Amino acid sequence: MIRYLALIAVFLFAALTPGNRVLSQEIAPEPVPAACSVPHDLIEDGPRLPALARRFHAKLPITIVVIGGASTAGTAAGGEGEINAYPHRLEEALKRRHPDVPITVINKGIPRQSAQDMVARFAQDVLPHNPNLVIWETGTVDAVRGIEVEDFAAAIQSGAALLRQHKAEIMLVDMQYNPRTSSIINFEPYLDTMRQTADLEEIYLFRRYDIMHYWSDAGSFDLVNVPKGKQADLAEEIYECLGERMADAIDYAVR
Amino acid sequence: MTAAEGMTRGVRDLRLDFFRGLSLFFIFIDHIPENLLSYFTFRSVAFSDAAEVFIFISGFTATLVYGRSFEEHGGLYATAQIYRRVWQLYVAHIFLFVIFTAEVSYAIFAVRNPMYADEMGVGDFLEAPHLAIIRALFLGFQPNFLDILPLYIVLLMGFPLVLFLLRRHTLLPIVISGLLYIAVQLRGWAPRTFPADHAWFFNPLAWQFLFVIGATAGFSRVNGKWPFPSGQWLKYLSIAITVFCAIICLSWMMHWFYDPFPPFLAKQLYNHTIDKTNLAPLRLINFLAIAVATIAFVKPDSAFLHKSWAWPVILCGQHSLYVFCVGIVLSVLGHFLLAELYGGIFMQAVVNVVGIGAMIATALLLEWFKAAGRRPPGSRPRSRQRSRQAAIRVAPSESPQ
Repeated sequence: MIRYLALIAVFLFAALTPGNRVLSQEIAPEPVPAACSVPHDLIEDGPRLPALARRFHAKLPITIVVIGGASTAGTAAGGEGEINAYPHRLEEALKRRHPDVPITVINKGIPRQSAQDMVARFAQDVLPHNPNLVIWETGTVDAVRGIEVEDFAAAIQSGAALLRQHKAEIMLVDMQYNPRTSSIINFEPYLDTMRQTADLEEIYLFRRYDIMHYWSDAGSFDLVNVPKGKQADLAEEIYECLGERMADAIDYAVR
Repeated sequence: MTAAEGMTRGVRDLRLDFFRGLSLFFIFIDHIPENLLSYFTFRSVAFSDAAEVFIFISGFTATLVYGRSFEEHGGLYATAQIYRRVWQLYVAHIFLFVIFTAEVSYAIFAVRNPMYADEMGVGDFLEAPHLAIIRALFLGFQPNFLDILPLYIVLLMGFPLVLFLLRRHTLLPIVISGLLYIAVQLRGWAPRTFPADHAWFFNPLAWQFLFVIGATAGFSRVNGKWPFPSGQWLKYLSIAITVFCAIICLSWMMHWFYDPFPPFLAKQLYNHTIDKTNLAPLRLINFLAIAVATIAFVKPDSAFLHKSWAWPVILCGQHSLYVFCVGIVLSVLGHFLLAELYGGIFMQAVVNVVGIGAMIATALLLEWFKAAGRRPPGSRPRSRQRSRQAAIRVAPSESPQ
């Protein structure tokens, strides 16, 4: 599939519709999840998940463990426990789409951890659940701390090897996008490293950064000007949309 | 690559200025995230990028200027000159630190959304500013985009020693420096930074090797002897390596855009090319090959160096400290604008053009200052052509940056 061209398409789109964001603020202050669709190229790109596909076809129980940072833990969206976090939204979406497959999604998000920190807790947080799929959200803290990209790549490679040893398939999830933070955190080398490593290791990469970038440019969400009282609502909507798009990704990868 | 080439004293080698100016443009372009223009910079056709060019040429010109000063005025004077330069770089670094701090503080307090809790770690220093400022004063605080100046400062601080050793034996510094580089590759030695306990983005213990290679090559202009092998085989080997690496890099980029295109040798090579921090050997080899190939093709009297389009690039290379700082500030501002307003392709083009224009304007302004300072009061400014020739004539007193 054509990588990155989607991003260029986003730029072109933004270039052709300069007033879009302002317009959407005025007429649609609270976008509904239906508005958070993205171009197919952002989802339908990358290797498939054959073992998971077999389980879906055979209607066998499926266990998914999501390991990640603060955005996986999802406390920003409020609600009881992890009810509004994207892993739970993913579980809801998958159950709705595949009512005859028993699906469990386990959330193992802990804030402020580097990729290496997460690999270190695979043994107690991930492997004991015997997951069929591990969704691994990482990269933010590595970029924030400026961890050497070589070490970051090595952590992903060693983590992937460990998970594969235990017969789990993997989906990587990259960083969240925000226009403000992306101008103060140098995400680029870490995004590149994740894409290259995912490509070399043949791991599906869920391109959350590009997806949220698309939403931001297309005016689906205003990620910058969020009134204090509306922050939790925004997080809730974003997580719901991410859950849906992630379910799209899984549907694509098990097709 | 013969010793006689470009050995004439007093004639400024415009190739140095040109390629340093070009690397400054590339550093600016590469520092703006998501900049489409960055696909057309050095790093698309090589494992190394503009940082290598900048450090190598800085090493070369450092010997050129301070080596001659050492010959003419003695070691103490040359050392004092070097430390005056270090002081200027240090002040520039602190200036950039203040700008960066302002930007982070603004962004952090504007965003402060629990959804971005992990991202907010970048503002941790705001919780302990008393420590952050002290670390910044000691070069230990290196947030993103503020990494190459601390490297350059540390390299220049050690430069009097390099000069001293060069005068004992031309190859003495490069041998010591090479051994240190190998030790770093094998043992992972590195100074640490704040926040947390991290390596410098550019490990000075590794990058010193490239600086010293540049310095040793530059010493040939002081003593008239080319210290490295210079046979035809080296030229052809370098061209072969350059082309080989370029094909590999381009294939990776093609694969990026179009998945079925095979990324040549990616599995074997990728992990050996990403270590910019420690100047991975593959990056170093690739850069040196490009340097040798460039010297073979671009002669000091190459016609294009005197074309009018090359002149702004050369000028930027001649005033590289200021132009570099302006470039860093502009790339930070440019990305801020792209993110805040909108990042369309038209806006990107505007940011690139305005940024590079501002860098050139800075260089022009500095050149004008210098020229105005030289001519007698009341006289008319010289034409562009003539002032350029004047700049060439007074080369030995040029600043090293």
